[in-house]
Amino acid sequence: MMPTPGQPYRMGIFAHLDTLLAALRRLPADGFREIEVYSPTPHHEIAHLLERKPSPVRVFTLVGGLTGLATGWVMTIGSTLLFPIVVGGKPIVSIPPFGVVAYITTILFGTIATFIGFLVNARVPQIKVVDGYDERLSSDHFGVLVYSAPERIIELERLLTTLGAVTITKSQGL
Amino acid sequence: MTEDYSLNYTDTDIDLMQSLKAPGKGYWFLLVFLLLLIAAGAAAWGVQIAEGIGVAGKNNPVGWAMYITTFVFWVGIAHSGTLISAILFLFRVKWRAAVYRSAEAVTIFGLATAGLFPFIHLGRVWVAHWILPVPNFGGLWPNFRSPLAWDVLAITTYLTASTLFFTLGMMPDVAIVRDKTRGWRKKVYGLLAMGWQGSDNQWRHYTAAYVFLAALSTPLVISVHSIVSWDFAMSIVPGWHSTIFAPYFVAGAIHSGLAMVVLLLIPMRKAFKLEKYITGHHLESLAKFIIFTALVVGFAYSIELFVSWYSGNPFERAIFIYRMTGDYAWAFWLLITTNVLVPMLLWSRKIRTSIPWLVGICISVEIGMWLERFVIIVTSLAHDYLPYAWGIYKPTLVDSLIVIGSFAWFFFLFMVFSKTLPVVSMWEVKEQINPPTKSGR
Repeated sequence: MMPTPGQPYRMGIFAHLDTLLAALRRLPADGFREIEVYSPTPHHEIAHLLERKPSPVRVFTLVGGLTGLATGWVMTIGSTLLFPIVVGGKPIVSIPPFGVVAYITTILFGTIATFIGFLVNARVPQIKVVDGYDERLSSDHFGVLVYSAPERIIELERLLTTLGAVTITKSQGL
Repeated sequence: MTEDYSLNYTDTDIDLMQSLKAPGKGYWFLLVFLLLLIAAGAAAWGVQIAEGIGVAGKNNPVGWAMYITTFVFWVGIAHSGTLISAILFLFRVKWRAAVYRSAEAVTIFGLATAGLFPFIHLGRVWVAHWILPVPNFGGLWPNFRSPLAWDVLAITTYLTASTLFFTLGMMPDVAIVRDKTRGWRKKVYGLLAMGWQGSDNQWRHYTAAYVFLAALSTPLVISVHSIVSWDFAMSIVPGWHSTIFAPYFVAGAIHSGLAMVVLLLIPMRKAFKLEKYITGHHLESLAKFIIFTALVVGFAYSIELFVSWYSGNPFERAIFIYRMTGDYAWAFWLLITTNVLVPMLLWSRKIRTSIPWLVGICISVEIGMWLERFVIIVTSLAHDYLPYAWGIYKPTLVDSLIVIGSFAWFFFLFMVFSKTLPVVSMWEVKEQINPPTKSGR
């Protein structure tokens, strides 16, 4: 379930990975299911507990690669047919050398599409970081951003403290 | 690296950001020295543009000389980066984490240097756009059957893929620098970090993109230098027209690229006190890799000679006899010695773990690999089918200054990089060490 726009949240900052993992097991059990985790490096244990869907970046890669493949063939065959000159006695449409070009454009378009896929899905570039972001999160701490109904915010703060959060930061306004 | 329990997340950031501290006098002195060499190279290019390509010593029959030699050399140097960053990543080689950032920088700066040479070599640089895959005013497109057109596309693709891979890998590290600096630096690194926060959602898409970029870059390691080799092999010039050229060039490229990475890592780890991260184990692993590539290159040299003899083609035989005994025989024997025989010293553990020896051997490999391309290009053109068309090439001050300037340009770019961006990937080093836990396990 996605949080509604403007829904309040609290970010619990954890100094240790094991306390963070324990919190990730406990929070959904207490009804707090809209969670985002911040970490200095990706961890399999976090990904496993959050059970996110596979990234759609792979679709961008596939579409980009196929577009590149088609572009390579169209560019080489089309350009030689537009101006048909026999060079070195080779056929006007020379499949082996044009295959080299199509191979290169497949990779070129595939890499560009992959990068675009990352930017679109990860929502970067962003002008500013999320409210409540703590500068330790990129270095040596872990964060759990938990959305909550306004009436359960106090309960959430207590729970995060109980679970071992060293700091709790807030969403703007609430 | 996981065995080193003294490393932790906090110290890793502090240690690896040492390289971003204000540089000392030695750094500035070296930077100015490199700038002067670049200026000398640029001035020489200016002379060539004003006077014509003849001042570069190129004339019939040797139309490709130092510029194409140096172009191939720099494209080769670029190959180690993708090998270390992409292929070793896909094989989950752990020692890669500490060295791949520098190797990727070598790739990008190697290509940025190589990319200058087609323009310099053109002579009439103002019509360089004719090689782009767009039609000219007469509706005529570039000849896509020509390996020169493939080469432009291949190098452009390699530079694009390497730059995207480098940018992606850098993003979480730049965010660390953003979060640890203040004032204008925070603003600049904040812009470069593009709002990276390390949320699980961002990491999910990041790791997927990283794997796909690595997978797409991997065939480029093989194909780019294969395509460069086809610039030669697709012709009918004796000594060039050979099916072994593609793997032969790829092996040579990786050989020179690894040596360059070692040559840059050694002073860098000393200057920035990175010995805990770029350890003797890393350098030894790279040295072992160099033994392997030296053997492959040596095998290619022997097969090349065998094929020329076994072919029964008198022109092929003649060119190899000329290479071994003719005007450039000194270069031929020197490249065999420096590329193949000298690296064999690395079989000795004592030698490959000795920094001075390792530096000396890597410099030997760089000299050898440049000479290898010089011998392939110049001897074949100087001495092809018709004896009345034979001639020799001699370097001039203009092309020598441009080549020296290109080396200065490459090292200048690397020095600027080493002081402005993290030279070791902090987030990937953290992946290799134990995370902070309350239980301490």
